[in-house]
Amino acid sequence: MARARLWTSATILLAVVLAVLVVPPLTDLDQQLVAFSDKLRPPTPSHPFGTDDAGRDVLLRCVYGLRVSLLVGVVAALVATVVGSTVGALAGALGGWPDRLLMRLVDAFASVPHLLLGIFVVAMFRPGLWPVIASVGLTHWLSTARLVRAEVLSLRERPYVEAAISGGSTRWRIAVRHLVPAVLPRAGLAAVLMVPHAIWHESALSFLGLGMPGHQASLGTMIHAGRGSLLAGDWWPTLFPGLFIIVPTLAIAGLAGVWRERISPRRRSELML
Amino acid sequence: MSPRPVTGQPTTPGPAADTRGDPSPPTDPRPVLSLRHLTVTFRMRGGRAVRAVNDIDLDLAAGECLALVGESGCGKSVLASALLGLLPGNAVVSGTALVHSPGTPTAPLDVLSAPEKTLATRVRGRLIGLVPQSPAAHLTPVRTVRSQLAETVRELHGTPRAELRAATERAAARAAFPPDHLDHYPHQLSGGLAQRAATAAALVGDAPLLLADEPTTGLDRDLVEHTVDELRRHADAGRAVLIVTHDLVAAERVADRVAVMYAGRIVEIAPAPSFFGEPGPRHPYAHGLLQALPSRTFVPVPGMPPELSRLPTGCAFAPRCGRATAQCTTTLPAFTDGTACHHA
Amino acid sequence: MLELAHLTAGYPGRPPVLRDACLTIAPGEAVGLQGPSGCGKSTLARVAALLHRPDHGTVTVDGHRVHGWRHRAPRSLRTRIGVVFQQPRQSADPRLTLADVIAEPLRANGRRAEVPDRLPELSRSVGLTDELLTRRPHEVSDGQLQRACLARALALEPRWLVCDEMTSMLDASTTAALVGAVESYRTRTGAGLLAVSHDDELLTRWCDRTVTLAAGAAGSAGAAGSAKDLDTWTS
Repeated sequence: MARARLWTSATILLAVVLAVLVVPPLTDLDQQLVAFSDKLRPPTPSHPFGTDDAGRDVLLRCVYGLRVSLLVGVVAALVATVVGSTVGALAGALGGWPDRLLMRLVDAFASVPHLLLGIFVVAMFRPGLWPVIASVGLTHWLSTARLVRAEVLSLRERPYVEAAISGGSTRWRIAVRHLVPAVLPRAGLAAVLMVPHAIWHESALSFLGLGMPGHQASLGTMIHAGRGSLLAGDWWPTLFPGLFIIVPTLAIAGLAGVWRERISPRRRSELML
Repeated sequence: MSPRPVTGQPTTPGPAADTRGDPSPPTDPRPVLSLRHLTVTFRMRGGRAVRAVNDIDLDLAAGECLALVGESGCGKSVLASALLGLLPGNAVVSGTALVHSPGTPTAPLDVLSAPEKTLATRVRGRLIGLVPQSPAAHLTPVRTVRSQLAETVRELHGTPRAELRAATERAAARAAFPPDHLDHYPHQLSGGLAQRAATAAALVGDAPLLLADEPTTGLDRDLVEHTVDELRRHADAGRAVLIVTHDLVAAERVADRVAVMYAGRIVEIAPAPSFFGEPGPRHPYAHGLLQALPSRTFVPVPGMPPELSRLPTGCAFAPRCGRATAQCTTTLPAFTDGTACHHA
Repeated sequence: MLELAHLTAGYPGRPPVLRDACLTIAPGEAVGLQGPSGCGKSTLARVAALLHRPDHGTVTVDGHRVHGWRHRAPRSLRTRIGVVFQQPRQSADPRLTLADVIAEPLRANGRRAEVPDRLPELSRSVGLTDELLTRRPHEVSDGQLQRACLARALALEPRWLVCDEMTSMLDASTTAALVGAVESYRTRTGAGLLAVSHDDELLTRWCDRTVTLAAGAAGSAGAAGSAKDLDTWTS
């Protein structure tokens, strides 16, 4: 069961990543090629996903759009995980007033809705890739910070940490030797699970017209643009970008699920002694 | 292995002991638990196989308490988990473990080959009651003892709501749990009362066999004595009690018979009085283990138990045994007349 | 001397588990500390190992008055006291091999160069075989893991050993072997010992004298929860 899930997810993800990496440089196709004579054609062999209201190929734009989404998702998740793990680990390891200060900061951030905060960040800059990454990354580190702090707090009280203190280890050595390796798998899992979240966030921003500039393909801007023709019964310019958001999301979640089972302690004791 | 007599055990079931009536006839000759060639092998990564329990034969009669003792890692906990079907997925079990409810016409059930559904509906709680290792961790902290006990009663007997309260109180009374503490939460109970609450839940299904896996680990001496005395009481009430423990002092206090396990095999089974008193254990390992007690010579058995994945040929204890001869290193001693040693 | 004077200690939000406890251990002396569950004997052991800050009272190690606990205690003071806990599974980092567990204190104190010499010596002194040293904690039994934890406590040659219920999860033979390893270390180095256990037979056999910590530490001033004037005897 777990094996089937692993292979399905891995295969889908590999295909998506390959498509995103290989198609744009290798093919000579121009995603921006406008052909008004061909606008809003339903799926045909030459345009498998049809064309949009400017006659551009939806499949090709989906691939380009996913490229943006994946880039935003991965980089933003990395930013969020690094920021969150650092804040959480510092709060958990130092305790006392630094812990209280950092956690109130987290609470303050958490009290504002993600999207609102994201819009605020984007609004300060011109629309583009980096503001979107910053907007997603800087709003998603809160849960990671809480998770890492809780983990560090529980590890700090373990007898093996006490034995290390008694053995003369410095705080730094305990952190590097015992705490970080213990927290890393969980923080990594949180990072992977954040990639789909960040993809959705980017799409939402773009859909609202705050993310990528309108002419540049992104799954969010495509859905946004396709919205108008949807009422006329032309479903393909919105459906396919939507699927391109959902399928990689599920594949990443599937991989994360397998990973979660790997690091859960019950797999550790195969032999009961 | 020669058939061991199962009648004439030190205690016979007390006819009035079971408050639910239907006292089991003391003449039922069949043992409550009968293990034959019980073997548990763990398949490890890289194709390795580790035999944690090896060819165990054991009988346990109603009203009898048997203590299974041995060093950590000798396989005694694996044996207990095997009986409840709670082994991890890489364990392969063979042999038979027949559990029989005395006084009932149903044939003994082999719990090793029973499917999970049978284990859940007929075995756990109904044929085998588990007295847990740490009762405090076994009880849900967010619910009262009454609500947890009532749930167990309803699950096992299907008692209608109107009678549930009385049935719950009867269940508590059987483990001598004070009725005025039923509405307490587990953290409000002392260690002894938490143990009784967990035992009460184990007794609800009227299981003829009670299995206690390390019931005394981490308890102070008073609580150890209290816990094993409770188990003794349930044996005297006609149940068969199997205690898995490393605590020889507790075993001496409670057991009718002692089985010593070493490297997955039982190396000696003896009546408790002759094991702890005169003439003492016959197997050199059992002798060494008993002598390691601080109240005796306090000298450890030399060396460490062998790796279960790399057992020596012949007797597994031979490398640590002062009496080992050439025969011991080549031939596995058969279990005859209560012990498995070439020199006993 | 390891001197614990008028210790009151506990955990936030609860009444102190230890009140006005006094205990003095002379160099080379083995003192057993017993008492029922919850009487504060583990807390006393943690204070003595400089791992728990008492609310009141003083700890003096070889004439040095202790002012900081845990990381705030000077390293030279911390490493004078070796500590072994009750549950070996909780006391060893599951990611390290037994060899790394044992060698960790040497490495943490910049004595990495000594590891190749000391590691075989330490593991031999607690009866661990070389083959076991390459394994991780989940691949060995409780008894084998506790041997490694004892070896770790002995790695820096501490002047004092605190054994908090070191053997209560273990069988008789492993108990005797570990106590034997502690005793041969003490014979060689003259280290003092505080052994906490609820097994009075074990402590009577092991220690020079045994102190009983009464239950229900919260009581009238002075006597309750104190090791000072409760039945103390010498075996």
